[in-house]
Amino acid sequence: MIAILRPHSWDFPLFLHVFGAMVLFGAILATTTLSFVGWRLPEVRAVSRSTFWALLAGAIPAWIVMRIGAQWAYSKEHHQLFEGTPTWLAVGLGVADAGLIILLLATGFAFWWQRSQKAIAGRVVSGLAVLYLILLAVAWLAMSGKWGS
Amino acid sequence: MSTYEWLLSLHVTGAFLFLGGGAAAGILNLRAWHAERPSEVALLLRLIARVAVPAIGIGSIMTLLIGLWLVHNAGYSYGTFWVWAGTVLWVVAGALGARGGSYQSKAGVEAARLADAGDTMTAELRALVRDPVGNALSYGSGLTLLLILILMIWKPGQ
Repeated sequence: MIAILRPHSWDFPLFLHVFGAMVLFGAILATTTLSFVGWRLPEVRAVSRSTFWALLAGAIPAWIVMRIGAQWAYSKEHHQLFEGTPTWLAVGLGVADAGLIILLLATGFAFWWQRSQKAIAGRVVSGLAVLYLILLAVAWLAMSGKWGS
Repeated sequence: MSTYEWLLSLHVTGAFLFLGGGAAAGILNLRAWHAERPSEVALLLRLIARVAVPAIGIGSIMTLLIGLWLVHNAGYSYGTFWVWAGTVLWVVAGALGARGGSYQSKAGVEAARLADAGDTMTAELRALVRDPVGNALSYGSGLTLLLILILMIWKPGQ
């Protein structure tokens, strides 16, 4: 019953974290959709261009908001709600930090894709985006279900 | 995991689909603004209908049904401000989104027609895609979702 116990001073960091994570999920959903459409319609430049912008202007700013909110909430909750690193927190931190690497790689490949129109670049973006979607789902399930607490 | 934690996980999953679907729709809509050819506009608006709208639909049903179950399970009152205000805003978000979607559908039909007739951008199509009323309704729906999230986290009146 975290929501019942949580003081109001913790609400804004939690809001930033959750809002950032939801927009991040939406941006990666858009990226996944666009990159798979690129397999079928490789000649449409708007697809690779839109994929790159969804990552650069959507996913990366959302990741920053999500991560700032996470660290801020952690600094308030740690030692008051939990000690050490429970499973749900380890999963969340792991996905957040590994996610940045996936995000930067996907953005790099999307940039290459929109410049070169090489199909392989678009396929790598698809793979990375699907992987990140799955990891995000695992993270929100672990954190909302408080796995291992 | 307790029943409460299961329900919360499913409720949060619904919220991710609801708000994430809305964010995906917003991104694809903004890309349609910048598209250079009607075929690109038609494609981007079709992706909203085929991917973002189903995510929003599934998420909205999940958040409402499991949310109401969660209120009962956690012992909150249905008369508490944040519970009924969240439910009213859920209806408002759906109504605004559906109305905004009808403007996008009109733009999608015109874009598909132009794509088949030479694929040249016209001022009329650009005006349809950037229609201030349609966009205000769609982005107003998104803002309403944000208000629901604020209510769910701050729980005013609790």
